Amino acid sequence: MNGWMGRLVTIDLGRGTRETVEVGEATRRRFIGGRGLGVKLYSDLFPDPVDPFSEDNALIFMTGPLTGTLMTSGRTQVVSRSPLTGTICDSSSGGTFGAALKAAGLDGLIIRGRSRKPVYLSVHDGEVKVRDASALWGLDTQRTQKAIQAELGAKASVACIGPAGENQVLFAAIMNDKDRAAGRGGMGAIMGAKNLKAIAAWGAQPVSIADPAGYKDLTARLDRIVDKNPVTGKSLQVLGTSVLVNIINAHGMYPTENFRRGVFNDAEGTSGEKIAETILVRQSACFKCPIGCGRTTRTREKSGEGPEYETVWAFGAHLGISDLTAITEANYACNELGLDTITMGSTLGCAMELSETGAWAEPFRWGESGKLLGWVTETAYRRGIGAELALGSKRLAAKYGRPELAMQVKGMEIPAYDPRGAQGMALSYATSNRGGCHMRAYMIAPEILGHPVFLDRFSTAGKAELVALFQDISAVVDSAVLCRFLQFATGISTFAEMLRTVTGLDFGDDELMTIGRRIYTLERLYNNRAGFGRADDTLPPRFFEEDFQTGSTRHRLVRLEEMLDDYYQVRGWDRNGGPLAKTLADLGL
Amino acid sequence: MAGLIGVKFYGLLRRRLGTASLEIAGDGLTILALLGLAEEKTGRTFLEELLDRERGLLTGTIILLNGENIRSRKGLETPVAAGDNIDLFSPAGGG
Repeated sequence: MNGWMGRLVTIDLGRGTRETVEVGEATRRRFIGGRGLGVKLYSDLFPDPVDPFSEDNALIFMTGPLTGTLMTSGRTQVVSRSPLTGTICDSSSGGTFGAALKAAGLDGLIIRGRSRKPVYLSVHDGEVKVRDASALWGLDTQRTQKAIQAELGAKASVACIGPAGENQVLFAAIMNDKDRAAGRGGMGAIMGAKNLKAIAAWGAQPVSIADPAGYKDLTARLDRIVDKNPVTGKSLQVLGTSVLVNIINAHGMYPTENFRRGVFNDAEGTSGEKIAETILVRQSACFKCPIGCGRTTRTREKSGEGPEYETVWAFGAHLGISDLTAITEANYACNELGLDTITMGSTLGCAMELSETGAWAEPFRWGESGKLLGWVTETAYRRGIGAELALGSKRLAAKYGRPELAMQVKGMEIPAYDPRGAQGMALSYATSNRGGCHMRAYMIAPEILGHPVFLDRFSTAGKAELVALFQDISAVVDSAVLCRFLQFATGISTFAEMLRTVTGLDFGDDELMTIGRRIYTLERLYNNRAGFGRADDTLPPRFFEEDFQTGSTRHRLVRLEEMLDDYYQVRGWDRNGGPLAKTLADLGL
Repeated sequence: MAGLIGVKFYGLLRRRLGTASLEIAGDGLTILALLGLAEEKTGRTFLEELLDRERGLLTGTIILLNGENIRSRKGLETPVAAGDNIDLFSPAGGG
């Protein structure tokens, strides 16, 4: 078999059993791997959704046929039902862990049950061993990785949780290869519920390539394409993702103080340009990545990875904070404790507005950078007010009687693009299968950045078709598995060629788009079964009712109703957002 | 100043030019003409960061005129008046 390793293992931590899972060729072709195959396996296991923290629930680590091969292929997808949202969720992480899992002989790992005591898993030569993690429980993610590498050797790539995962914070991340995160949706909390501290993988099993000569040629061509592209070959390398700070701010849609304004006056001081001038030590890159968007940084006290764009925003403009050192050190703390920076920062912004309105008596104040580290730490350990912050913004705002102050969709916090400034992005947030996420359909690319074409950001015309198209392409990339940033330089035909070269299967462009649509629809079916429908495909009322008075997004509101029915129609779903029988038949679902 | 056109450079442009902003006297210029004047004033070439060989906007170039993308108007032929503000971003991305 080319591309896939042909071995997928289910391990039950409660019963101590292991089973090999057979995935037929037809299923691989229909869902590829990564997110797509993970979602397929998960939804087959659970026709009736289960409590994410239940013993029965499964946590699936998946690679794809491209993992460990061509550029940007070190990524892993983690699939389960999110404890934060209750939706299906896949969380993607960079680094090398995905490639290491395949080198260890596995395409993926399905983890079920709950261990009675803390354990970690080692994967090597296709075998999975359960190891005692009693001495690791309580350690942060950095110490955990070092301790496991001390035991197994430095070649082991480790994915682990920190105290936040152990304490089942609803937005706990899984951290691998030091500071790479499967951040969104609380996958780390599920590991914590299973008493699973980490997974370590290493090995030297090669991925079989269908067309070795073509592979060599394609490798060289991809290098040239990525190098020549101004985004992947220059901007992301020199300035990282935070180059977006000034761009989004100049468009008047940089969410400030819990999305109450669209222009942050101190944006310059936290921009990618400023990071490059001040705290940047060097760029860092994932497995076989020539882009290297990562930032290795140093403050006076500490060093580490980040901040990237979303984190700069979450701990910066969103909270009215312009102290780059405080933002960076909050980022380091999240990496160490194992927390999603977006939900952490957004929940703090919600807390600040709750406090300001008097709904919550706790003294959270805008711009209070000195307390950031304390809040983050208390959250990871669920101590004091941290026990409430650990619930995320939706539950927090509801508890204090102001649910509208949580800037979330389906329970997941919206990131750093105000939807009033880009109607397609608004539809993307509203219809995202995992909640308020920018990565299901990154409409900022055409609506703001002009990739691959420039679209009028305030128009709703044609946005339904494009959002669906972007969602489908993204599902393909997440299933192959590749980094989304390749999309700045390439497109669906390149992904088809990469898959053909590695697997020998001739996925045409049309077939890939159908696969993307199948995956998105399957996720939707699961969410329907979990109780989600049209009423959940929406945004907080602020975006429909409150307009900015300044900046270039002033006097604009989201016009979701102009797009939602069209979107359902494009998708072949009914008016409540449920796939029609004909759609399911067409997709073979 | 009301009689000047403000030009701000971001990202790689700023690093290349070593300056974040300048002001240019003029009125009734096109964006393209203004960019030419900006090159003269900085003493450094930078248009290849924004334009292709046919002097069209590169995919991903963002030029804002008072916060509005000139692609929504007349592109490089969009007129600029004294008192206007221009933001220049070479192609960039993130997520």
